[in-house]
Formats: sequence, structure tokens, C-alpha cells
Amino acid sequence: MSESSKSKSLNLNPSPTLQCKDLHEYLKSRSAQFLETLYNYPTICLAVYRELPELARHFVIRLLFVEQPVPQAVVTSWVSQTFAKEQAKACEALSELSVWQEAPIPGGMPGWMLAQSFKKNLKVALLGGGRAWSMSSSLEPDGKARDVAFLDAYALERWECVLHYMVGSAQTEGISADAVRILLHAGLMTRDAEDGSAVITRAGFQFLLLSTAKQVWLFLQHYLHTAEKRSLSAAECLAFLYQLSFSTLGKDYSTEGMSNNMLVFLQHLREFGLVYQRKRKAGRFYPTRLALNIAQVRGGGAAPLAAPAQARGYIVVETNYRVYAYTQTNLQVALLGLFTELMYRFPNLVVGVLTRESVRQALRGGITAEQIIHYLEQHSHPQMLKSETGGIRTSSMLPPTVVDQIKLWETERNRFTYTEGVVYNQFLSQADFVVLRDYAKQQGVLTWQNERSRTMVVTRHGHDDVKKFWKRYSKSS
Amino acid sequence: MADDDTPSDSSLLVIIVDTNPNQRYITEDPKVLTNCLDAVIAFANSHLMQKARNELAVIGCHFHKSEYLYPTPGKPLDVRQIDGQYELFTLVEKTIKMRLVNLIKSQPPEEKPGESLLAGAVAMALCFIAKFRREATPGLRITARILIVTGSSDTAAQYINYMNVFFTAQKQQVLIDVCSLDKHLSLLQQGCDITGGLYLKVPSLEGLLQYLLWVFLPETSERTKLVLPGRGRVDYRAACFCHRELLTIGYVCSVCLSVFCKFSPICTTCHTVFKIGGPLPIKPKKKKMKV
Repeated sequence: MSESSKSKSLNLNPSPTLQCKDLHEYLKSRSAQFLETLYNYPTICLAVYRELPELARHFVIRLLFVEQPVPQAVVTSWVSQTFAKEQAKACEALSELSVWQEAPIPGGMPGWMLAQSFKKNLKVALLGGGRAWSMSSSLEPDGKARDVAFLDAYALERWECVLHYMVGSAQTEGISADAVRILLHAGLMTRDAEDGSAVITRAGFQFLLLSTAKQVWLFLQHYLHTAEKRSLSAAECLAFLYQLSFSTLGKDYSTEGMSNNMLVFLQHLREFGLVYQRKRKAGRFYPTRLALNIAQVRGGGAAPLAAPAQARGYIVVETNYRVYAYTQTNLQVALLGLFTELMYRFPNLVVGVLTRESVRQALRGGITAEQIIHYLEQHSHPQMLKSETGGIRTSSMLPPTVVDQIKLWETERNRFTYTEGVVYNQFLSQADFVVLRDYAKQQGVLTWQNERSRTMVVTRHGHDDVKKFWKRYSKSS
Repeated sequence: MADDDTPSDSSLLVIIVDTNPNQRYITEDPKVLTNCLDAVIAFANSHLMQKARNELAVIGCHFHKSEYLYPTPGKPLDVRQIDGQYELFTLVEKTIKMRLVNLIKSQPPEEKPGESLLAGAVAMALCFIAKFRREATPGLRITARILIVTGSSDTAAQYINYMNVFFTAQKQQVLIDVCSLDKHLSLLQQGCDITGGLYLKVPSLEGLLQYLLWVFLPETSERTKLVLPGRGRVDYRAACFCHRELLTIGYVCSVCLSVFCKFSPICTTCHTVFKIGGPLPIKPKKKKMKV
């Protein structure tokens, strides 16, 4: 018998889809001590609370004013039996983020108790007390106060600057080396092999298809990653970010009392358009809508509640797969071009059509059907939001046929499942083959077998075991 | 309109606080009102804490008028953060307290406090919800509910107004929750039952906040999953239109369904003239046809 270990080195996932963790997942991946320091900031407690599952929020709020451990059985009794699974999930989430800890009760029963710092600081955020987040109460009224519309325009302009840089539009000024470093670190862009200039990667294109809030959050995650290397404390940065996200739009805040590190951080945020500052030394800053949206990554499915007027949707999708986009910017046209076949271009309108070829091309590029649909949904023209889908209640405002077809085109590509394996063939006798096959089957590592050609395929991790067995078997016989 | 089982994007809560000075718990000890108000404000803020898109309105209900305590009709107060509290929460607290003082000050001094205008306040809340829904971004799933916190006893005087707002709320898919601080309120309990809300008579005022957070904070979609106090038996007696008294048996107009405790020949609501009552005329027996 010969075993040809032709392990297929098929790349199962040619271009990994871009992962966008939410706050929960981000915090889960950090250590318990890190969480402990984080919970010293009321802002973070507030943000974490909002990220918790519904039932977990209910548990926290009921335990918030309880000073002693509560028996686990009591907590279980709060939820009706039919939803035991969700209850377990909620408990797990709370334990994962060390929002509560197990604490024994005098009777010997296991109990739950909220983490001291979390409880204290959530109470501060809810009811008051403690220290103010910033020194803004002493701020005098700004002579040149900026209104909300101005801030929206500013934020949009700054953020588009980053996006434009990514697609390599002519408009490349106004982005610093730091921002480029983050884009490179995140794998959204890569250095060109020849001239060292930054070019966009596949992940980068997927990044562009995300909603703005998600883009900002993903970007900041990578920023925090690199920040740790630059001796900026991630906890401090995160707390400041959430302080921004819980501030009021159109109000100014003082930079007084901020450490040097935080001032550097503020300058970076200013560059990406999360805060507005007239001058570097102005002593005050205005958070913009981009910063406020950090807290709302979770609810990304629906249309943003208060979208900036400029960023209103511009795409109309019809049941005949035509896509009309009322836009002038090259960035948006380029993005549409990723998955549609562009037909006409007018001064303020681009017409394209979703075809099998065009969508498949996007899918080959690692973009998922979900991302395409989400992009179309997110930028739907207000008119699309109003129109009825012919009595069919769907979660999406796009024509159901189009949504389904895009999903079908994706599943069409997934007809193969790849498993790595080792082929065993050229057995000398049928009996040998049967023994080895049965052994592999028994171990649960057999992928495929054919008795006539005496060929079998064993999974990669089962290979060693089967080989050993074969050696023992051939020796003994 | 959102399904019951899918969590909504945004949940609007309108709290109606009864501030009538003739409630028993206030006449006994006026300081308790501050405690109750603090509990209600903390509860309101925890509602805002649930989700970034949650919305809140608070209506103060007095004996001479009802008024929005939050949000303010014009420009919001300019509030700066003074301690570790979230700025929005500070704004809510400050606004409510300031507007409530104004409301109490505006009461006519010579008038004897009458009954709280709860039905009117609920109507105001329904208007607020309707306006909010109209102005919301299309495609946003909104659930709305009303919470009434009151210590007044309910009288049948506002019976018709109550029923009107309850059925309107039912049609608008607005839940009405009632938290009674003092007495059992059978009329408002009917409202809860009609709209699918919860009714709770708080056993002790000290634990008010904990009761509010336990029973009234969870959203509609969440309530099915939790073990909450049951509905109990609902007293469905109607009040008569002539003397506003609760009845078990009465006369009903066959045209407009008005309820009366005594027979009257003309319906006061729709002016239908009834024939004088008396024994029903006995129908002459039909002769059976022979086959």
C-alpha cells in the first residue's frame, strides 16, 4: 500500500472577510485586569451596560441597589422557564465581562454579586455624584460657537478625506502619517511592492462598504491597538472616546485637566473628524456626530436615527435589478462599481445594473452578499424607505427579489466544501483495505472511501493515528 | 408597527406623574413627594440608559392642568456637567424639577384642590406619541408606552374620558402601565387590561424605585420572558352616564350603548326616544302547519 499524502493546500477562505467586533467582543478579548481598570470610568460602565443583552440589562438594574450577594436560584426565577436558554446566555455575558462575580452566601448557596467598581460607577453615571468627566462647567461661552450643521459638514469632510485617500483619489492631502500607519496596521491598505506607496487591499474595499459608524469604530479599534505601543493607555483612550460619545452635540467641552497623552489623542481625533477644534490651543473642542455614533455600532441594521443631512441615502434599487444612484462623488461611484455593471453616467446620476457576473466578481473579491445588501440598504434613497413592498413585510426596504437573488448568487459559489485529507490507495488485498477502512470509520476520521478502487481518504488530523494502526497491523500479520 | 417579539430600535416612554396635593400620601407627609419624584426621575433615566435611541417624555398632572415637565417646548436648558452623572440625565433631572416647581406655583390659590386630570394627561401623552411617530425616520421600529404614577383614588366622574383614551391607546398600540401608590384603582386597571399593560399597587413607598425598575422598565418584547406580577381579576364594572356610579346591572341604550342606572324615556347621549317599558308583548302562538 502506498499512502500519497497529497494534502490539498486549498485555501479555504481566499480572502478573509473583514471582522468588525463590537464593544462586547472587543472587551471579551481583553484581560480581567484591563476590564477592572475600565470599570473605574462611569462612561465605560454606561457603554458596557448598553451593549449587554436585554435580559442581562434587566439583571444588572435589579441588582444595582442590592448590597449583598443574591442567590443564583433567585436570579434564575426572574425569567420564565421557557426562556432558560436566553437566561443562560445573559448570565454568561455578564460573567465574561466580569460585570458580576460569583459570591458565596452564608447558607452555602452560590450567589451573584455585581463587581464593586462597576456598580459604583454605573450608579454615579445614573444618579450623580463623583467627579465630573471633564472640566467643562468652568468654560465661558464660546464667542464663535459652531452649530450642529457646521459640525456635521466638518465631520463628513474629514472622514471622507480618509476614505478618499484609501481609494487613491486625487484628493490626498490632509491625512497624516499616523492615519496611514493605522490603515496599514489594520490591513486595509498595503505598501506597494514597487514604489512603496500605499494601495487599498480587499479588506479595504469591504471596509468602505460598512456603515460610517462601523468604519469609525473599526478604525479606532486599530488605533487603540497601535496606541498601546506608543505608551498611550488604551483604557484612558477608550474612556475618553466614550466620554465623547455620551456628550451633547453642538456643545463645547474644555480641554483643561487633560493629560499630555490625551491631548495628543485629541489631535488625532480631530484629524479624523471626531472632534472639532478651531485652533490647536483653543482650549475647547466640539464633539461631532461621528464620535456620538460610537455607542451605536450595535444597532447598525436600521437606518441611523439622525443622519447628517448631507449623508442622506442616494440609491434607488428597482425590482428589475437596476440601481440608480444620485451622486457626484467618485468614491461612491467606485464603490457601486464594485458590484454593479455601470451603464450610464449623468452629471448627478449613475445608472447601473446588478448582474450575476458583476455580483460574482464582487464575491470573488471577498465581499459578502450581506455586505452588498447592507450597503444598498444603508444608502437607500428616502423614497425607498417610504415605498411599500407590495404588502410583503420584510425587514429590508430593498425589493425582496433582488435581495434573494444576491444571496442565491453567493450560495451558488458555496457548492463545494473543502476538507484537507490524506489519500490511502494501492492496498494489496481487499481484507487490508476493509480493516483499515473500518478502523478509520470507527475513529470518525474517514472522509471518503471506494471499495472497488480500494481508495480511502482520511482527514488530516486522523492521519497519524491511522498510520500507526496500519504499521501495527502490517507488522502483526 | 413593531411585532411584539422583535426588539424595537427605539422605545418611547411617557411618564405621567400625579402631583395633585390632595393625594393622601402627600397630605400625610409632603416630603414623600420629593422621594417619589426622585424615584421616578431615576427610573426615567434608567429608561434612557437602556438604549441610545430611547426617548422620554414626562407629564405632570395637577388638578387644574397637565403640563409637559420634559422635554421643554422651546430650547432645552443649558446644563453643564457638575458631577459624574451623564449630562443627559442631569438635564432630565434639572428640567423636571424646575418645571414642576413652575407647575405647582401656577395653581390657583383660592381654589380647593379637586380631582387630578389623569384622562386629559393620557390624551396629551397619546398626542405626543402620535407626533413622535409621524416625525420619526421611516423604517425605524418604535414602540411606545405610557406609565401613570398616581396616588389619587379613581372616581367614575372621568369614566367616559378614560374609556376614550384607553381605546384610542389600544388602537394606536400604546401600552398603558399603571403604578398606584395608595389605593386600588379599578378604572385604570381596566385600561391596563385593555391595552395590555401592567398594573401594580406598590405595597410600600420606600421601595418605589425597585418596583418601578422591576416591573415597568422592561420593554414589551422583554416582558414575555420575565416573571412579572399577574393581571389578577379585573373589575369591569361600567359607570352610568347619569350619576357616574359604578354599576353591575343597568340600562343600556340600544342605539349608542350609553349606560344608565335608571330608566329614562329619552337617551341623553343620542336623544333616541324609547317606547315606554312594560311587559313584553306576548307573541300569538303560531299554529303548527299540518303536514
